[in-house]
Amino acid sequence: MRVLLLLLLAATAPALAADEDAAALLLADKTSTTAGQSGDWRVYAETAVRESRRQGAGIALHGARASIDARFDKTFAPGWRAVVADRLDLNRMDGVSGNRDINTLKEAYLSWQAEPDRIVDLGRINARNGVAFGYNPTDYFRAGALRSVVSLDPASLRENRLGSAMLRGQALWNGGSLTALYSPRLADQSSDNVFSPDLGATNQRARWQLGLSEKLSAALSPQWLLSGGAGQSPQLGLNLTALANAATVVYFEWSGGRAASLAAQALKRPGDAAFRSRLSAGLTYTTPNNVSLTAEYQYNGAGLDEAGWNALRRGPPAAYGLYRGLVTNIQELPTRDHVFVYLVWQDALVKHLDLTAMVRYDAADHSRLQWLEARYHWTRVDIALQTQLNTGQPGSNYGALPDRRVWQAVLRYFF
Amino acid sequence: MKFERLIAATLLIASAGAAGAAPNAQAILAASDAIRNPGKPFALSVTLVEYRNAKQTDSNTLSVYSKADADSGQFRSLIRFVAPARDANKLMLKNGNDLWFFDPSSKASIRLSPQQRLLGQAANGDVVTVNLAKDYQAQVAAEESVLDGDRQNRRCYKLALAAMSADVTYHHIEMWLDTSSSRPVKARFYTESGQLLKTAYYRRYQPQLGVERPTETVIIDGLDPNWVTVMRFSDYAWREVPEVWLQRDYLPRFKPE
Repeated sequence: MRVLLLLLLAATAPALAADEDAAALLLADKTSTTAGQSGDWRVYAETAVRESRRQGAGIALHGARASIDARFDKTFAPGWRAVVADRLDLNRMDGVSGNRDINTLKEAYLSWQAEPDRIVDLGRINARNGVAFGYNPTDYFRAGALRSVVSLDPASLRENRLGSAMLRGQALWNGGSLTALYSPRLADQSSDNVFSPDLGATNQRARWQLGLSEKLSAALSPQWLLSGGAGQSPQLGLNLTALANAATVVYFEWSGGRAASLAAQALKRPGDAAFRSRLSAGLTYTTPNNVSLTAEYQYNGAGLDEAGWNALRRGPPAAYGLYRGLVTNIQELPTRDHVFVYLVWQDALVKHLDLTAMVRYDAADHSRLQWLEARYHWTRVDIALQTQLNTGQPGSNYGALPDRRVWQAVLRYFF
Repeated sequence: MKFERLIAATLLIASAGAAGAAPNAQAILAASDAIRNPGKPFALSVTLVEYRNAKQTDSNTLSVYSKADADSGQFRSLIRFVAPARDANKLMLKNGNDLWFFDPSSKASIRLSPQQRLLGQAANGDVVTVNLAKDYQAQVAAEESVLDGDRQNRRCYKLALAAMSADVTYHHIEMWLDTSSSRPVKARFYTESGQLLKTAYYRRYQPQLGVERPTETVIIDGLDPNWVTVMRFSDYAWREVPEVWLQRDYLPRFKPE
């Protein structure tokens, strides 16, 4: 009987497949397509409401934000391109004196492609380096670049930041490129004025950078960087990626050079310059159902070791405050060893629902930052629910963040 | 490239001319590659419409710029996302298994593994041009009539394609090619364990860049046949693709008129 059933099944299977194929082809017959067009503008408006609870079971604080984000990128004559990217955040928050409205002029530059392989740029440019996800020691122009933090998602931190004013030239050849840039000193102090271009945040001192990429083989194309500026020794950087297998990318990012410790910089201590390394090394594994998991080890040789960090936490609050202020401003890690885990699940169980989760762990004080986002998108509209939980002892890296728990709901509309 | 195609065509003619001789599977496959893929650098638009249970669930438009590698004969492609607005002007570079994704908003160039999919059902390798004869060893498994994409019976060679290296998208493929023209009609793509990943129908043949080419591929999921993606190709054009475009460092620069 079982054999008969199997035979019957085997005989009907091709017919079933043929029916399914016919149904699919019928669907294709009815499909009408119009190839979409992308313009020179990408604009979206966003509104968000949030609730946060302070560390130590404080009362709930509420806030709201409305933002508009625009990017304009146009070739206005053969070889000439203009790019402007700007974002305005209007914030209303309980318990904060005054309302903090911030405009972030992310980029504004002209690009001249004299030849297909020779390009010069001038203006405010977001010059970003680094193949790692959670900590980019070779991203030399990240210092002072955050003006308005709307999400702790590394993708948002990379996008919503100030570029630096600079002159940049690039020569490309088959399998490689050489980039040189110079960013002059233009202002002394950062500005809180709503519409300030805030060149004082990004161009407080003259800096330069050289970048060389050269393809060594089909699989290996390292990028070397050399960066320096007023008041610092040159830093050498390396970015490397490789494919471990069809599902796994491994990456390595390193920066090293003579530098003062962050503590000496923050507390104006006598120079303790020495060769210091910073690195991020990790891998991204993608499962067959398209869940990408990134695990990253992060090391900051200029940060405090466990003993130094504990001593700072127990010491004068002013010194602690100065240190934290510096590392936040220059987007550095306060301590030596960290672990970062990032998970993205596209079309999680239902189509158009993306889940993103992130954990940052500080090995010196065992504090953690946990962040989770569920984002559903239609053609022009995104809705997202985000939650963040900061845990750790008082004074620890994440335990000292003002909020223990944050909830945020976001609505975004693409024009 | 031209030389290789000449050899392929010669072999095909020779195999067809020799009465009773077994057709040369690799030459037929190369001839069908030449039908799907223009022989010089080119650009085209791809619109992907995705259905679940007969309801449209997604639509994307991409611009693809492709050029064959002089050494390997395999295509390298730059893919620009055109629509929806959320993804506009994001880029993907595919050079063999060297895959990069670039977002102009964050200036982030992220290396992808072949398993990471950006476009739902379609593997990154599906939206770009692939010369199968370069990556797969072909054998004629049968000569039979199959229903083509227009539900017409068509006399086909059924080719069994086996991957020549582990770093291609599919482990093995069954492909049906018209015996008279080598036109691709239908294909089934499998995992190493023999699980059907997807079925594809090549249809809507139209003259494009001097050859009748399929301008639509209908992809049916192997596990869930109610998951269907219709890929339509349009705006074919010869387009010079300089070598300097085909590297990670050019992604922030890519701005075609």
